[in-house]
Amino acid sequence: MIVDQVIAASLTLTTPILLAAMGGLVNRQGGIVNIALDAKMLAGAFVAVIVSSMTGGWFVAVLSAAVAGALVGYLFSLVITRANANMIVAGLGLNVLVAGFIGFILNWVYDSSGTLRLPDVQLLPKFMPDFVSGIPVVGLALSELEPLTVFAWITVFTLPFLLANTRIGLWVRATGNAPQVARAMGISGRNVQDFSTAFAGFFSGLGGAHLALASIGLFNEGLTAGRGFIALAAFYFGRDRPVTTALVCLLFGFLDATQIRMQTAGLPPKLIGTIPYLMVLVALCIAGWRNHRRKAVAP
Amino acid sequence: MNVRNAARDETGQVSVRLGADRLCKSYGSIEANRDISITVAPGEIHAIVGENGAGKSTLMRMLQGIEQPDSGRIIVDDQVVDLTGPQRAFTLGIGMVHQEFMLAPDLTLLENLVLGDEPVIRALGPASTIDWRSALESGERLARETAAHVDWSRTARNTPVHIQQFVEIIRLLRRGTRILILDEPTAVLAPQQVDDLFALLKKLRDGGTTILFISHKLREVMALADQVTVIRRGEVQYTSPVAETDPDTIAGHMVGGQGVLPESAADAKSRQAVVGDVVLEVSGLTTPIVEKSHPLHGVGFELRKGEIIGLAGVSGNGQNELVECLVGLRPVGGGVVSFAGQDITHMSNQQRRARGMGYISADRRHEGLALEASVEANVIAGSQRKPPISNGGFFNRRAMRRAAEERLSFIGVRHGGLDNAAGDLSGGNQQRLVFAREIASRPSLLIVSQPTRGVDLVGIAAIHGILSDFRRNGGSVLLISEELDEILALSDRILVMADGAIVGETSASDADIGHIGRMMVIQGAGDG
Repeated sequence: MIVDQVIAASLTLTTPILLAAMGGLVNRQGGIVNIALDAKMLAGAFVAVIVSSMTGGWFVAVLSAAVAGALVGYLFSLVITRANANMIVAGLGLNVLVAGFIGFILNWVYDSSGTLRLPDVQLLPKFMPDFVSGIPVVGLALSELEPLTVFAWITVFTLPFLLANTRIGLWVRATGNAPQVARAMGISGRNVQDFSTAFAGFFSGLGGAHLALASIGLFNEGLTAGRGFIALAAFYFGRDRPVTTALVCLLFGFLDATQIRMQTAGLPPKLIGTIPYLMVLVALCIAGWRNHRRKAVAP
Repeated sequence: MNVRNAARDETGQVSVRLGADRLCKSYGSIEANRDISITVAPGEIHAIVGENGAGKSTLMRMLQGIEQPDSGRIIVDDQVVDLTGPQRAFTLGIGMVHQEFMLAPDLTLLENLVLGDEPVIRALGPASTIDWRSALESGERLARETAAHVDWSRTARNTPVHIQQFVEIIRLLRRGTRILILDEPTAVLAPQQVDDLFALLKKLRDGGTTILFISHKLREVMALADQVTVIRRGEVQYTSPVAETDPDTIAGHMVGGQGVLPESAADAKSRQAVVGDVVLEVSGLTTPIVEKSHPLHGVGFELRKGEIIGLAGVSGNGQNELVECLVGLRPVGGGVVSFAGQDITHMSNQQRRARGMGYISADRRHEGLALEASVEANVIAGSQRKPPISNGGFFNRRAMRRAAEERLSFIGVRHGGLDNAAGDLSGGNQQRLVFAREIASRPSLLIVSQPTRGVDLVGIAAIHGILSDFRRNGGSVLLISEELDEILALSDRILVMADGAIVGETSASDADIGHIGRMMVIQGAGDG
């Protein structure tokens, strides 16, 4: 039924945004606004497709994608924390650079422009037993579950605990809140920020792997379609809180799923396709307005 | 971990706990410290006094390992040490409480306490889970020993400043600090809180902690310190046991023997009951209760022509909100503000200025001046649309320059070129620059908030002189200050503000500092 399908599609479309947003919010709590999540997702998707094709193993592919994202993130972080580059300008640059680099590799190694189709790409396994599809309403969504979606939601509910109660969690929060205090207490803010940016890259890479390996099994230059930026909007709106942010991601996933449905229902597809992005703007306006109100009343 | 642990190596007969031996430090052509030598004995409270810019901060930065001396040696426990960085100083037991507190505002006090030295349940490196229970136990034990009441679950942002200061001290003790450096620790405290802090410091000293206390308040030095060293222009001028000296001698060495103390007796006598017209009348002023700002509860008073009213109070009891309401930067909830007989309650700041109100903001660096803009632009700001400076929509550069020179020389701002950035001036001259601009438009009322914050003794004398002259010429002043001495020195009448209301009033002649101090803290409910 249509409800089942919308639920299943929403959940699947939420996962990549959710993974990137979890990484990005940790990064932001550590004091770095990472606008290059999209680049890391793209890199993750690219590596996932290649490795999956080469090895025929989804797990290795996903792990490689995450490591690739983390590596890009770490390098990005070094540019910010060691070379003191502006994080927004550097982030913009990285988005362009990674897209260009991947385009170049596509052209040079695979002699293709834009799309990479490789043989034997193994997709993410759907591991739920068959009988779940019989469950009303959520059955379809359950049967479509794959490891990355499960992992993403486990992260949502463990991250608050980790941030609150582990040493690195405290260091990340202290560094983001008052870097000079963290430094005075013997914490290397730069190392913590490098870690948090690599962490964001790791999760964005996973998000990219999900995009490529959840169902289509190929890479395309426009694959991320700005989802890294939607993730950014999600944790802005969710005020860096994992569970709130996850709910916002779910909303974006739902909008994405409904716009696809509406396109198939004969409405102008390009116009309908802008709905999620329009909602990002709306969400950011609301977030900005809310912050403004809070600031206006501060002494 | 324990206040008394610090005494454990007392048996080792150390004669110099912390020493500086001919330290020199230059920045470019400026010699910030020249041949500074000090000796701090174990278990001593040693006060370092000097004006702003005398070189105290440079010395402290070197003793903290933040900066390395160009020449000279630092001694800890009779050993020459090489303080390569703050961490090295920290491991040697040197800890500092800065003027700006080193607490992360959005973390709880407990999180701040353990930050960087977290007790863990099982050691897994950075991924270890923090043992909050043992953290809380150690925090509470130290709080008990220092007789402080600390709500550890509060965020630092929502904690009164004196508790924040206690937490900073406790945090240093927890991490094994034996040599405590405090940089003007009383600047943010009410008189009673100062007493509490001094009691704590004396207790720590008796437990074996060595304390280096930076101040320019001589009364506090006399009350607390065992030994005093005066620094002026980067050199040690004078050092003596406190018991063998007196404030006049110390002050003389601080300012170079010219004896510049803020107020002359003659000026105090010239103050009398003022019976001029009412210039500013405030009645029933309230502000809505909004997050993070202090509401006002029916504030009312009258300010007359030729009068200075001093508004005393612990910071954060509604003074900033009152000032912002008066100058038109904050919407008023209820009540009436009238200025020269006219209701200005809902007028903009610009309209109020046009009617003769001047405003010296407490936040000189953000509200008072554009630090990166030139001295000229800063002193002209606000008059840029008036002829002859503006002529048919264009600036007349020559007229602007002339007006700037006039304004600056009128109250003797010492500046380099007019094109230099305002931020290059010393704190005192920056503040004089603000006064030069505000007085240029010949206001009848000045609202002056914390005019001498971060200003040295000579600058304070100059600013007090400006305010006295302004009053003598018929101007009215509302003076908001955290420095009770300043309020006592200048005001004709003193109002005490606590918890968003005026809780007391006294004339300058009857003023008693103890009484005012009690009103400031006892009436204030927000200070528990």
